[in-house]
Amino acid sequence: MERRALLLIAILTIALMSSSVATRGEQTVWSGIIIATNSGPPEPTPTELTQIEATLRQLFGYTRLHLIGEARKTLKNGQEDWLATTKYFALRVDSRGQKDGAYVLNLKLLQEDKVLLETDAQLSKASPLVIRGPQIGDGQLVIVLMVQ
Amino acid sequence: MKTFEEKWTAWIDDQLTGRELEEFEASLPDKAAAQEEKQSAKKLGSLLREQMVPVLNNADFFSHQLRERLDHEGRRSPAHPAGTGWWTIRRLLWSGATALAIFVVCAVMVIRTKPASDQSEYLTQILNYRVDPALSPNATITMFEKKDEHVTVLWVDGLRSLPPEYATK
Repeated sequence: MERRALLLIAILTIALMSSSVATRGEQTVWSGIIIATNSGPPEPTPTELTQIEATLRQLFGYTRLHLIGEARKTLKNGQEDWLATTKYFALRVDSRGQKDGAYVLNLKLLQEDKVLLETDAQLSKASPLVIRGPQIGDGQLVIVLMVQ
Repeated sequence: MKTFEEKWTAWIDDQLTGRELEEFEASLPDKAAAQEEKQSAKKLGSLLREQMVPVLNNADFFSHQLRERLDHEGRRSPAHPAGTGWWTIRRLLWSGATALAIFVVCAVMVIRTKPASDQSEYLTQILNYRVDPALSPNATITMFEKKDEHVTVLWVDGLRSLPPEYATK
């Protein structure tokens, strides 16, 4: 009798665990360092940005989006960290778990060894984050993070 | 052939007769002492029998009680076979299916009761932000959401402008 009761408890536990795992899943966060500009040779918009291309153009008033650095990280336990780099800039992302279905991220935008900006954000799965950085030449540095 | 001990026991119980009795009594080294021992053994035997009588009188009662209990156990056991109890395979399956059904119903209810109208719940949120005032003394930060496109923007103004070579990969 006790063995059967234990078996029942085990079955229910496995069912609950599998359902919670299925709802969580693994997801990839894409982070890009972009120069928005109106000059330079025309080039296709990076595929990662096609979803928000119109929004970026409308926000910054630039027609060209040039990807100069990117990183893609699959989050398994939500505690990972990663780096997207260019020659002079780096975006350091430190994931600090999940809250309300979003990833809690600490972001640092570095110019060489100086921290230009630091922010904590709760990155939702259906909502990209756009950060306006410094002016560079006649363009604009833009940071984009999104869950893919 | 009987041993001496067997003959001795039989002699004390007055079981020896005739020639066997004569031969045994002749073999005793001290007949007087043997007779004395026989009498004391008989006394002890009668004393024990007197003491055992009440116990033997209760024997039937205990045996009756025992039979009653065995009959009672025997009647009860077919309804509850040992080792199965309430958790039969069928009941176990039904319990599992019922528990899973309750879980699914609860999950559906929880999903349906989530406020779908609150759009901000699905938007990325900025929890805090900071710039180094020594590095960017004129920096100002604004945060806003473009709800139609589900985009959250952190708008930083006043960062020091950089030359075009900073746009290299």
